[in-house]
Amino acid sequence: MLTFIARRLLYSIPVLVAASFLIFVFVALSSNPLADLYSNTHLTPADIKVIAHAKHLDASVFERYWLWVQDAVLHKFGNNLSNGDPVWPNLERVLWHTIELLVIVLVLSVLIGVAIGILSAIRQYSIFDYTATTLSFIGFAMPVFWLALILQVIFTNIYLKWHLRIFYTAQLSSDNPKYWLLDRIQHLALPVIALCALSVAGYSRYMRASMLEVINSDYTRTARAKGLPEWRVIGKHVFRNALIPLTTQIAIDFGALFAGAFVTEQVFTLDGMGHYFVVALTSGDPYPVMAWLMVVAVMVIIFNLIADLVYGFLDPRIRYD
Amino acid sequence: MPEPLLSIRNLVVEFATEDGIVQAVDGVTYDVFPGEVLGIVGESGSGKSVSTMTLLGLIPQPPGKVVSGEAIFDGRDLLKLSKKAMRDVRGSEVAMVFQDPMTSLNPVLTIGYQLGEAIKVHHKDLKDGQVKQKVIDLLRLVGVPNPERRYEQYPHEFSGGMRQRAMIAMSISNSPKLLIADEPTTALDVTIQAQILEVLKEAQAETNAATILITHDLGLVAELADRVLVMYAGKVVENGDVHTIFSNPRHPYTIGLMESLPRVDVDEEWLRPIPGSPPSLINRPPGCPFHPRCFLSQGRERCRTDEPPLRPIDESRHKTACHFAEELRDHVIGSRREVAGTST
Repeated sequence: MLTFIARRLLYSIPVLVAASFLIFVFVALSSNPLADLYSNTHLTPADIKVIAHAKHLDASVFERYWLWVQDAVLHKFGNNLSNGDPVWPNLERVLWHTIELLVIVLVLSVLIGVAIGILSAIRQYSIFDYTATTLSFIGFAMPVFWLALILQVIFTNIYLKWHLRIFYTAQLSSDNPKYWLLDRIQHLALPVIALCALSVAGYSRYMRASMLEVINSDYTRTARAKGLPEWRVIGKHVFRNALIPLTTQIAIDFGALFAGAFVTEQVFTLDGMGHYFVVALTSGDPYPVMAWLMVVAVMVIIFNLIADLVYGFLDPRIRYD
Repeated sequence: MPEPLLSIRNLVVEFATEDGIVQAVDGVTYDVFPGEVLGIVGESGSGKSVSTMTLLGLIPQPPGKVVSGEAIFDGRDLLKLSKKAMRDVRGSEVAMVFQDPMTSLNPVLTIGYQLGEAIKVHHKDLKDGQVKQKVIDLLRLVGVPNPERRYEQYPHEFSGGMRQRAMIAMSISNSPKLLIADEPTTALDVTIQAQILEVLKEAQAETNAATILITHDLGLVAELADRVLVMYAGKVVENGDVHTIFSNPRHPYTIGLMESLPRVDVDEEWLRPIPGSPPSLINRPPGCPFHPRCFLSQGRERCRTDEPPLRPIDESRHKTACHFAEELRDHVIGSRREVAGTST
């Protein structure tokens, strides 16, 4: 297992190099970060040239890439172009905010989704199954921003009408909360609900389908023919096999959520990765954008590695020696 | 005559499908006696598997449904057992060997675990070490080499033949009184089939379990079975001891099955299949289910209108469901050969 992890980590190095190069080339060539300076009447084109040279913007792409890689590795992605602030402290802050949010979303949606999927499968065509199916289709169909806004409107109105604070509808935490945990729950609940709706809908459907496939398999029949009680058949023989296809989905989802939770973050004004990216992109400064893309790439690689390890645990046919 | 171990009476099993109700098993009656091997033959869809799966409650319900009948095993009706009582019968008193060893073992659990589980569920008092020793002994008995190492392995590390050996070991692990082998060699290649046949014989001799051998391989039946049941379209059409069935078949379907086998003692260019195909089990034709394909019927009125009952013939235990079985008394297998040969 350790050799496998080491090998996988080595494999990720070329992936990261390729990703970083593509990121740099696309971002560096897609805009001119000094464009704003041309509208500044106090600067002559010669001044701008001096600035560009100082920032190595007149060098070749490969040269600039190499300088950027050095900056990224040795100086934590270096500084902003616009005001010279270091990139990493801000990125690190939003990274932890997003990880906190997503870990909660992931754990909750997997637990709830898998539980619903299992119950739907073993009680196929029951009222529970039909209800879960209907709700999950609603979950699929509902745009996340819409759900987030509706939740926000509801809880804002509750507060305005009855002065009752159930959940906060903005920010991640209060400045000096009396009860830390309660404060966190009140702040995180709505974004978590909004993000979970879609994932729970997805996971419950995946789990139901793969459970049904395994329940009707030959080896489940063998397990029953041995005289095992049904809970053992489901728990020992069906559940583990049914989890295998779900693992891929969860790993892919994590990468997507990581980069794509910005709608929810915007609605609830959360200081997270999505929000950071939107701000960085609109500022026209390439360095925070590239740093953000690299962090996301690393996270995606890490989660694929985790998914592969989980596979190996679940399925002996792909064990790595 | 000894008491039968298993008596099936008028078993009717239906499946609800989108096209209508399929009567997979339609009034099947037979006995299995202690220690004997009963071969059930018939083509795909004749109801031979369903009739035995029903005994252990292993057909999915719905869409399957046991409409009527009883299956008295050791004084109890298997079809009316509670779930708990059925679980105690499964794998302990009645065990099964399934057709496809490639898919019948759980891919994510070791062979040792899967066999041990079959023992432990019925012998809760056994310690893990004892169970493991028993599993290793069983694997050795069915001819799995190096059983100590094989115990730790997963099904994908076993070949098809080895998996079927493991399945057989699993089925005899609790010394069942009745062993149901559902096409145990169909999914294997020919050389392995012969080996598995030997293993089955040994397993049967070891446990002295009555065995129901479901197959469409007449060779397997001739080799292993004491008595034979021929099924067609969910019904038993002929029933007798193996020598009688092979030397003196009294149902045109049985004759058709035997004549469709290639022979090594005659030089021949063509196989002789039974013409036509089995009837739809949704809208059964009236009369004998075999009459549209029958060489004996030849458009006789009675075959189209009256369903022939399974009746004794030749004042023996031999039974057949053909109105004109007497005409087959002197039938020699292969005598229609030339006629069939010229018509193809």
